[in-house]
Amino acid sequence: MDAAHSSAAMLVSNYVFPNDLHVHWSMMIVLYPYITGLVDGAFIIAALYYLFDVKSLRPVARFSLLFALAFLAIATLPLLLHLGRPERNFNMLLTPSPSSAMAGFGYIYAVSMGVVVFIILFVYREDLVELRATSKGWLQLLYRAMTFDSIDLSENARKLDQKIIRFLVGIGIPIAVVLHGYVGFIFGGVKANPTWSTPLMPVIFLFSACVSGISAIILAYIIIRKAKGRSIDHDCIKTCIKTLTLFFIMAFTFEMLEVFSHSYLKSGYHHMVEGLLNGPLASSFWLWQVKICSVIPLFVLGVMGIFTINKHIYNFTAAVVSAILLLQVLIMRWNVVIGGQLMSKSARGYTEFHPEWFDKEGILAVIIVMAIPFIILFVLSKIFPFWTPDNETNVK
Amino acid sequence: MDLSYRMRLLIVVLSIGVLAGGGLLFKQLLLPDSFGDYGPYRADAITEAALVPIRHGTNTSCFKCHSHEAKIHKKGRHQTISCEFCHGTYADHAKDGKKIGTLPVKKEKEITTLCLRCHNTEIKARHEEVIKTVAMPNHLKDQNVKLTHNCNQCHQVHAPLKYIIRAKQITGLMEAGS
Amino acid sequence: MMDRRSFVKKVLNGTIAGSLFLVWPMGGNSIETPEEIPGIKGKEYDIHHQEFAFIVDVTRCIGCGSCCVADKREYNVPDGNYRTWVERYVKGFSDKIYVDSPHGGLDGYQHARTDIDEEIRDTFFVPKLCNMCKEAPCVQVCPVGATFISPDGFVLVDEKRCVGCAYCIQACPYSVRFLNPVTKVAEKCTWCYHRIRKGLLPACVEVCPTGARKFGSMKDETSEVYKILKGPGVLTVLKKEMGTFPALYYKGARREVI
Repeated sequence: MDAAHSSAAMLVSNYVFPNDLHVHWSMMIVLYPYITGLVDGAFIIAALYYLFDVKSLRPVARFSLLFALAFLAIATLPLLLHLGRPERNFNMLLTPSPSSAMAGFGYIYAVSMGVVVFIILFVYREDLVELRATSKGWLQLLYRAMTFDSIDLSENARKLDQKIIRFLVGIGIPIAVVLHGYVGFIFGGVKANPTWSTPLMPVIFLFSACVSGISAIILAYIIIRKAKGRSIDHDCIKTCIKTLTLFFIMAFTFEMLEVFSHSYLKSGYHHMVEGLLNGPLASSFWLWQVKICSVIPLFVLGVMGIFTINKHIYNFTAAVVSAILLLQVLIMRWNVVIGGQLMSKSARGYTEFHPEWFDKEGILAVIIVMAIPFIILFVLSKIFPFWTPDNETNVK
Repeated sequence: MDLSYRMRLLIVVLSIGVLAGGGLLFKQLLLPDSFGDYGPYRADAITEAALVPIRHGTNTSCFKCHSHEAKIHKKGRHQTISCEFCHGTYADHAKDGKKIGTLPVKKEKEITTLCLRCHNTEIKARHEEVIKTVAMPNHLKDQNVKLTHNCNQCHQVHAPLKYIIRAKQITGLMEAGS
Repeated sequence: MMDRRSFVKKVLNGTIAGSLFLVWPMGGNSIETPEEIPGIKGKEYDIHHQEFAFIVDVTRCIGCGSCCVADKREYNVPDGNYRTWVERYVKGFSDKIYVDSPHGGLDGYQHARTDIDEEIRDTFFVPKLCNMCKEAPCVQVCPVGATFISPDGFVLVDEKRCVGCAYCIQACPYSVRFLNPVTKVAEKCTWCYHRIRKGLLPACVEVCPTGARKFGSMKDETSEVYKILKGPGVLTVLKKEMGTFPALYYKGARREVI
């Protein structure tokens, strides 16, 4: 092969363009797709119950909607922290450029927020009407507003609610797909970056979103129920794990397909992608993302699917696998977002990224941003009861 | 109010529609001036870009006052060099035809460093037809001068060969006028 | 140097339209180098009928870094960010390519590289700046219309609308964009749009001592860039496979240049 263009000759100087030394999209942009992914995955669980009638998911269906809402509520926060001029964020709504993939964000986000809120209001209407009767003052006013000031729980009204829920969840699915697929496309549409620019990117992001969301629901359900000393619905966990297995197989397959197609097609600047995965990302990609956080869970999920396992061990394993998969998706986001930017467009070198603690996009900010949804979830639990009453009867 | 549930929902849907529509209308009001004149951007931004203050003048602008330097510079081998590269920008020196600041003049070793920025043979990218280069300190040795000499002790910085040619003419190594 | 000189000689000989004498004051026997773009100063600027081109002649660049210095001074570019920079390519006898650009070439290249073990075949310098793509990826991705292509073909940034999302920085295949650490908005080389509108050459072209950087109007058939671009010489663009159609052309750029 032509020596001047062989990978070794390209990489010999480790030359990084002077403007490429700084990683512009740092941890907040890792967090943002992670958060919308959690929203998407949680929404899928709700959709399976409310639209596709997967009855065994009943115990977590309502909770997953609230979980989705809590994370959706802060999805814009990492973006605002990332923007150089956050006070100008309304420019995105005011003058969205018709040619930009990113411009749609404001509108897609607003619509998905509206849909999730209304789904929750209709799902909880019976409870809200009851709570309205027992509450006083401000809280009562809130419940009145949330029930559209109607206490009509007649057969007809309930039927109408069910229809509305099915309709909203129905349009919610494409919206959720767009909300997250769009994030994948933001990366997939950057032709200047060889690891990002693949049409597989939105697909990978969607499947890994479902993986992270479902894992989060499983883990949160098990932890909260255990903490409150309540029973865990084994059928529900089983269905969740089966769904998770399906989505994870898809996600992992596409992640590997991306790497495979880069190394097989050998197009453009593939030597940079190879060098990246075997160089700066060698441990975070191959060791952490692939070996520890993908192959092990895949094996465990396989065992859980094939063999009959004791309920308690099954639930415990489910929690552990979910935790590992949550980590897998986070590492995958890191490897895509930060990893992709380590390649200089000089095609001759890699820059470095060192996270800072107290930066506005630093580690502390990440921890705070990730803590807020749980506070929101706690507040929501005071207004919307997480669990349906018939779970109570299962208490042993 | 005694409205049926369906009626209330209809009102909710309608109000969402009105809010969204109103929002879109309001958005039109908030569009910045001149947005969309040429395309989906603010046309005035072009005018603003054209109004960025100029900091580098031209050699002509320097020569307007510095006629002595101009005479030497224009005749010498360094005629293509911008005054402002070595001395600093016009904007730091003059405004509306008046002097507002003194620009630094490079001295001693600074001069040698400046010269070698272009004339160093060590960098093998400087072709003979583009620029004459020298290797240091060989050049000083070859010319039989002290190794501590600065370039400007032999070369007039504005016209580097001025003194050399003159000296050669005086010593008869070169015919006057050539 | 020669190019400019011969160009000026041609002007003096009258090979190039005599109207240029009106633009450049020619006093006495002195030789003037072209410092202005003819046909702009004192005339109404028709933004819809302009086309400019920039040519970098790699064979003439001596890596002095004047352009980088001028650029930094013209815009007060914050340290560590570069609107333009000069790269040094060193080619060894093994055909390995070593590239570096310490401080973007701002301090010039005073010394040869000492970290190369093999014998050096040769060295060349490659100045980089905005490619002014006709299909600019940065313009496509800007979510708020803060980056745009003006009717006269310049890719500009509206610093009053930019939100600082840095998407354009990701999208630019040439890495000429950066987020200004002071204003927190995207910034890039504009080919000195403010100078051009006043009929002056871009600052880097103005200070280039060897004529390695050439700029001119493609609507002016007497301009140097017009003649080079319409002539038989080979010109290349960077990263052609990106489909960006730059208006920045390279003369004598070797295949190793990315």
